[in-house]
Amino acid sequence: MKKQKTVVCAVFGAIILALIAGIVLTDSLYTRTESVSETMQDAVLHEKNKISVFGTEVNPGLVSAFIVTAAVLVFAAIVRIFAVPRFRIVPGKFQMLLETLVGYFDGQAKNGSPHRNSFLGAYVFAAGVYIFVGTALELFGLQAQATSGVSVALPAPLSDINGAIALGCLSYLVILSGGIVGNGIRGVGKTLKDFSLPVSMSFRLFGALLSGALVTELVYYYKALSFVLPVVVGVLFTLLHALIQTYVLVMLTSLFYGEVSEPRKKQKKKLKTEKTEV
Amino acid sequence: MPLNIDWQQILLHLLNFTILAFGLYLLLYNPIKKFMKKREDEYRERDEKTRNALAEAEEKAGEYARRIAESEKEIAEKMADADRELSLARETKLKETAAEADALLARARSDAQAEKEKMLEEANAQIESVVSEMAEKVILKGGESAAYDAFLSAAKKNGEKHES
Repeated sequence: MKKQKTVVCAVFGAIILALIAGIVLTDSLYTRTESVSETMQDAVLHEKNKISVFGTEVNPGLVSAFIVTAAVLVFAAIVRIFAVPRFRIVPGKFQMLLETLVGYFDGQAKNGSPHRNSFLGAYVFAAGVYIFVGTALELFGLQAQATSGVSVALPAPLSDINGAIALGCLSYLVILSGGIVGNGIRGVGKTLKDFSLPVSMSFRLFGALLSGALVTELVYYYKALSFVLPVVVGVLFTLLHALIQTYVLVMLTSLFYGEVSEPRKKQKKKLKTEKTEV
Repeated sequence: MPLNIDWQQILLHLLNFTILAFGLYLLLYNPIKKFMKKREDEYRERDEKTRNALAEAEEKAGEYARRIAESEKEIAEKMADADRELSLARETKLKETAAEADALLARARSDAQAEKEKMLEEANAQIESVVSEMAEKVILKGGESAAYDAFLSAAKKNGEKHES
């Protein structure tokens, strides 16, 4: 037993030493093309490192978005073909996970908008999955080659301002549609009253996810910070961000949707009828 | 555009998300929700069935309790009737038995009386024969007066014996 422990410790130590030696020896092979400020600026604006998609230069965030969509749809198709037909009345662990996921978003939609929620449930489910998976994609550190020739790590789709604006504005349009369906012109008025909503939603998403991306970029820029710390940073700024931002967007969309689609109470008419009865 | 905002890329993001949302709705959200709804309906149906069965069972239990109470009442009434009939029959039987006993007693008495009379007649006949026999013997042995005296004393003794 003691001998086994010694062997395990020796192997572990050897691996660590080999990794450190590899890091030190290969350090001279790579030269930094940009300073930390340039890296951070590019992480925010994506002006320099663009990726070519079918001849069009796009931000890395859009490529991440395509990858997320493809991965999620492939996973969903596999689940639909192989898992859903085998669903049982008493669920197994995987079925329980899927049902909890759908039930959670559906519940959020019902809580936020008790009057009208079937479309909202589907929307917040898709938005929630997109935000969570997109943010968690950062953990994988997928690399893509920029048009400038350098390798860039694919960021979360919503840390790209265009992605955040798209989702923020789409959420606002969904809220507006709820207002129109629920209350007609009055619903439009109610929605337009919160005209700052698309901006606040977009920039909240962008700011929250960008902050995580920036901290991660900063940590990975310096070699000295690349040990142990990424584990903490990965959990704090990626997974927690993913969960929190999913929750925030889903909750806000549901609440605003419920508010604008809520049918108007006919109190005046009731009062009038009560008076006539008296 | 400031902040590298690009309308084309915004539209691409929108297209990408719309495809994702539509695909997720078709492949995951709708089938899973349908399944959950189906199970919920099934459980609701089962619950309703169980409630109906319970109500039916309770109704039947009530009906059976009512029937048992009715049967017990009927049994009690029948037992009371039977008791009444039994006491009546017993009284009738006792009366009949008493009458029979009286008749038997009367018959026995009359039979005994008839027997007594018959015995008395037989005894008288025997006495008469004994007396005549003795008278013949006395006459044959002694005088007529002694025989006559003996006859009288014998008759007297016989008469006293019968009276006692």
